[in-house]
Formats: sequence, structure tokens, C-alpha cells
Amino acid sequence: MKFWSNLLKKREVVVLLLLVLMIIGISLINPDFGKIDNLHGIIANALILILLSLGESFVIITKGIDVSVGAAMGFAAVCLGLSANSGASVPLASFVAISAGIFSGVLNGVGVAVFNVPPIIMTLGSMGVLRGLMPVLTGGSWVDSVPQSVKNIANVKILSIDAIIWATLIIVLLTFIILKMSKKARYVYPVGDNEEGAFLLGLPIKRTKFLAYVVSGCFAGLAAILFVSQLSFIPMQAGSGQEMRAIAASVLGGVSLAGGVGSPFGPLVGGLFLTSIDSMLIFLKIPAFWNDAVAGMILLVVVLFDFTIRKMVEKENKKQRMLGKSTSYHGSTPQTRKVMEEL
Amino acid sequence: MKLKISFFKQWDAILLILLAAEILCFGLINESFLNIKNLLYSTNDFMHIMLVSLPLTLVIITGGIDVSIGSIMGLASIIFGVLWKFLVFPLWLSFVVSLGVGLLAGFINGLLVAYTDINSLVLTLGTMFLFQGLATGLAGSIGASGYNGIGGFPESFTNIAYGACGAVPYAFIFVILLGFLIFLLLNRTPLGRSLYLIGVNKNAAIFSGIKVKRVIISSFIFTGLGSALAGIFLTAYFTSSRSDLGKDVLMPALTSVVFGGTSITGGAGAVSGTFIAALFLGYLKQGLMAIGVTSDVSQVTVGIILIATVIIKGIATQSLLNRMNRLAFKKATVLVNEHHGN
Repeated sequence: MKFWSNLLKKREVVVLLLLVLMIIGISLINPDFGKIDNLHGIIANALILILLSLGESFVIITKGIDVSVGAAMGFAAVCLGLSANSGASVPLASFVAISAGIFSGVLNGVGVAVFNVPPIIMTLGSMGVLRGLMPVLTGGSWVDSVPQSVKNIANVKILSIDAIIWATLIIVLLTFIILKMSKKARYVYPVGDNEEGAFLLGLPIKRTKFLAYVVSGCFAGLAAILFVSQLSFIPMQAGSGQEMRAIAASVLGGVSLAGGVGSPFGPLVGGLFLTSIDSMLIFLKIPAFWNDAVAGMILLVVVLFDFTIRKMVEKENKKQRMLGKSTSYHGSTPQTRKVMEEL
Repeated sequence: MKLKISFFKQWDAILLILLAAEILCFGLINESFLNIKNLLYSTNDFMHIMLVSLPLTLVIITGGIDVSIGSIMGLASIIFGVLWKFLVFPLWLSFVVSLGVGLLAGFINGLLVAYTDINSLVLTLGTMFLFQGLATGLAGSIGASGYNGIGGFPESFTNIAYGACGAVPYAFIFVILLGFLIFLLLNRTPLGRSLYLIGVNKNAAIFSGIKVKRVIISSFIFTGLGSALAGIFLTAYFTSSRSDLGKDVLMPALTSVVFGGTSITGGAGAVSGTFIAALFLGYLKQGLMAIGVTSDVSQVTVGIILIATVIIKGIATQSLLNRMNRLAFKKATVLVNEHHGN
């Protein structure tokens, strides 16, 4: 039973193991898949999704949802493209993109935290607003002929691995360290796990929620930089549908939509998993149009598997309590308990 | 409770006034907008939103959500086309089978939501990918992916979207009937009333002996059926069946339901509101287009309307609650004073 409950706590590990097994299996069928170049390509393709779902997971941990991350990325990409085309330097244009992302995050944060709008409604609305603003800014056309300096971001290599891969890894690690070191950053866990309880403990609920949306927007801005540098033009559909993939990647990586659970490695693993499926199907000679069906199936299987194990653990806990053996808190997540112990 | 009910009746009235004001405003700018025939005929442009959002109201009243509606539309449409063109089914049979597919899709959604405690957003997100993937996979396998789709339908079929009885399009008559049926279902049947109870308090519903699972599954089945209908309607409207028909349906459909007064957290709402709100939003888009605003920009307006409705209603409910609390407090003080006086 201990094994199962540990498994439950670390879904990202399970999914990572599954991913490694699948990579090995498919490399056996088609050796080209396992080549370093191909794996490098998969990782480079996954970066945008990883960043988006990393931001998304902050919101999901506070028991919210952000369906505007795709639109926020598109909006930030348009801002970046326009400012770069009008002569801004790369750092300045990147700053503009991140600010645009933060702007959308602030919009969502104000709606959810100050006006108490349900997150799905608020972010759905801002998705419409941001998507509508994109053609207004560009005058309806695509942004193309982005300066070479922006495209170069995707081409820089350090130790023969793309610099943007290193950068994303560093961002994930930094997020992990911040969540480990900073007490305030960890407030997202109790707020998502048990909002009323967190309120009674005196935690700043509104500020935490607000900041979660701002972080999500900020990561959408970062993803926009990668998007523009990798694609080198910005279609009006930029980022459309990415919000759903970001949520799926977070959930795959063990971030629970019930709130209060998740680690920054979850989105990393989930994003890699979803992206590699696309590539795996190509190597298995399955036409690309079945991608969504497979991704949906996997998402459902993982979520249902998680549900089954959770029910088993709950049943076992109940049994233990009946026998008078249980001493642990019931119902709160490990991360929440940690914050409570510190207070 | 009485206050709450009258609030919703008021909300319908407000929506009707808004709708009338909107049509008048656009009519002042462009007189052809006021033509009744035009108004009725142009409902065909957003009929699919109404077909989806009316049954979606049921799911949202139970406190759930279904984001797979667009995918079910695409799936129903492509299956309809494949059956008719490649398997040479008669039109009516293809129609029935693709309705059956919508029913099955809704049943799967309902089964997943009812038998687990997982957020319905996650589950329908999974089925959204699944159904969309099946639709694009099917379309791709027979070489009908992208914008071309399967075409060449006879006029007897495309008449679903273009035919009219006098000045009233067939589809509009149908949607009024559908709205009325769902209204009866919600207000005159035990099933409808238990939808509300589940939305208010699911545990209370379980303990009062309501077959919660069955009720939830049926709400999703209705939504699946509505989505399939909308998919077939759009097939007739575009005169081709495509797997990506329902791509942009989710936001306007959800906006119609929420703007129509249904609480996204469940337990309150009315189908009449959804009906009027869908009309309002549909005409808004057309009116804006008529005065030269592109559909992208009108999306901004829809988004703002969605957010503003919820904020305003939140503030209104809060102030109502405050007023009731104040009244209750006053009453209590009077009672306490009387007691002490004795």
C-alpha cells in the first residue's frame, strides 16, 4: 500500500518512466527514433508547451484554471514581432513580450482575485479579448519578416545543445528552487488545497491568486519569445489550442485540478510526453491526423488511473482509521502540511 | 428563494430589453437591419450556437461543464458525410447514425463524469481531444481533411439550413420547439428539478434518493445530441461536412449560457435566458459586421460582455445578500429588544 501511495504522490515519475519505456520501445522498432538528433528535436519542440504549462500549473495549484495562456502567448508574440520589426533590440522586444504576457495575467488576476469572477469565465473572456486584439494590432495580417537577430535566439548552441533548452531547464529548476526556498511562493498550495482553511490561517488569499495568474501570463510571454524565434513569423492563430494542451500537460505531470498538488517537474514531463507522442506516431508510420485521438486517450487513461489509485488509497486509509491506527491528517496534501507546520 | 427567482425573471426581462435596444441601435445605423424577414433569416448564421447552448445549459446547471461540444460537432458532421458519400447510406439513415454518435459521445462524457469525482473540465478536455482526433483521423484517412471536406449534398438536405416556412426558417422553428421542450424538461419534470438540486448540493441530492448518476449522464447525453444536431446543421449550412466545424463554438456557446443567467457554479439558471442571450450575441456579431467591424474585433466585445455580466451579477447578488442580512439583523434586534422589554 505504501508503494501505491508513494506512486500517487509522484505521478510525474510514473509518466517519466512511461515516456522512457515508450522511447526505448519505439527505438527498437525504428532505430532512427532513438538518435540524439531526433530526441533533441523533440525536446526543442516541447519547450513552448513546457513553459506554458509551467505557468498554467501555478494557476491550477491554486484551484483555478487559465484557458487564456494560448491567446496570451499569441498576443505577446504579436507585440514582440511588431516591436522587433519597428527596430527594437532583442532584449527590449523580449521585455515587451513578457510585459504583454504579464498584462494579460494582471487582467485575469484582477478579475479572479478582486471581482471574484469564476476562473474559467474570466480567462475565457480574456482569451476572446486577447485574440481579438491581435488582428487589431497588426491590421489583420500576419507578422512576418521578423529580424534575423530574433530568429538567432533559437539557433545559439551551448555544448551542442540549443541555448533555449538550457534556458528552459534553468527556468524549471529556478521555479523548483523558489518553491522550495520561499515560504510565500508555497502559499499557492494551501490556497488551492483548502481556501477557507488558508484564510483562517491568515494567508493572503487574494494576493496569492492574483500572483498565480501573473506568473502564468509571464510564462506565456516567455513562451512567445521561443515561439517567434523558432517559427520566425506570427500567424493570427498563434497559440490557438495551446491552452488545452497546456492544461493536459500539467494534468499528465501530476498537477491536480482539485488544487494544492503539483511540482514544476510535472509540466516538464507532461510537455515532453505530449510532444513526443506526435513524433512517435510519425516513426510508427501512423498518419499525423490521429495525434489528437492518441493524446486524448492517454490523458483520459492517466486521469482515470490516478482516480482508481486515489480511491484505493482512500479506502485503505479509512480501513486504518476504523482500526484506530491512523494518525495522519486527513485530506490535506503534503505540501499544505508543510506550510501549516511552518506557521 | 423568492428573491432569487424574481431576480432571474428580471434577468430575462433585462436581456429582452437589451436585445430590443441592440436591434434598434443597429437599425438606426443601417435600416435594412430592422427588416423582420432579414432578422429571422439571419438566425441561420448562429443557429448552431443556439442548438448547442440550449442543452449545454442543463450540464452547467448541474455544476458541470462540457468543453467537448465542438469536437462532437466535427465528429457528427464527418461521420454524416462519410456514411452518405462513401457507404451510400440514405440521407435520413446517415442523419440518424450521426445523431447516435452524438448520443454515444455524450453518454461517454456523462459516464466518466458521473462515475468518478474528477473535474468535468478535465474529463471533457480528454474526450475533446479524443473526439476531435477521431474526426480528423477519419477525415484524413479518406482524404477529406482541411477546408474542403465532403461536399455535393442534394438540395433536399441543404434546405435544413436554407429552407424557410414563409419568412421563418425551418431551423428557427425547430430551435424554438427545442427551447420549449428543454424549458418543460427543466420546470415540469422531476429530472429537470433534480438537475438544479445536484447543482446546489450534490450530496444532498444523493441523500434525498435522487439517481444522481443517471441524471448527470442524461444531461450530457442531451448536450451530445445537441452538438450532433448543430454539427449536421452546419454541414448543411456550409454544404460540406468537415472535421473542424466546431472549432470556434465553445466560447460563444458558454457565453450564451452564462450571459443568459445560468450560474457557472451550478444550481441556478434558465433555458429562456440562454435562448435570448444567444440571439443577442448572434445579432451583435452580425450588427458589428454590418457596420464594418471584423469578426475578430467582435470577439473582444463578446469577451468583455462575458466578464462584465459575471462581475455585475456578482456585485448585485452580494448587495442583495447584504440587504437581506441587514433586514434579518434588524428583525433580530427588534425581537431581542422585545424579549428584554418583557
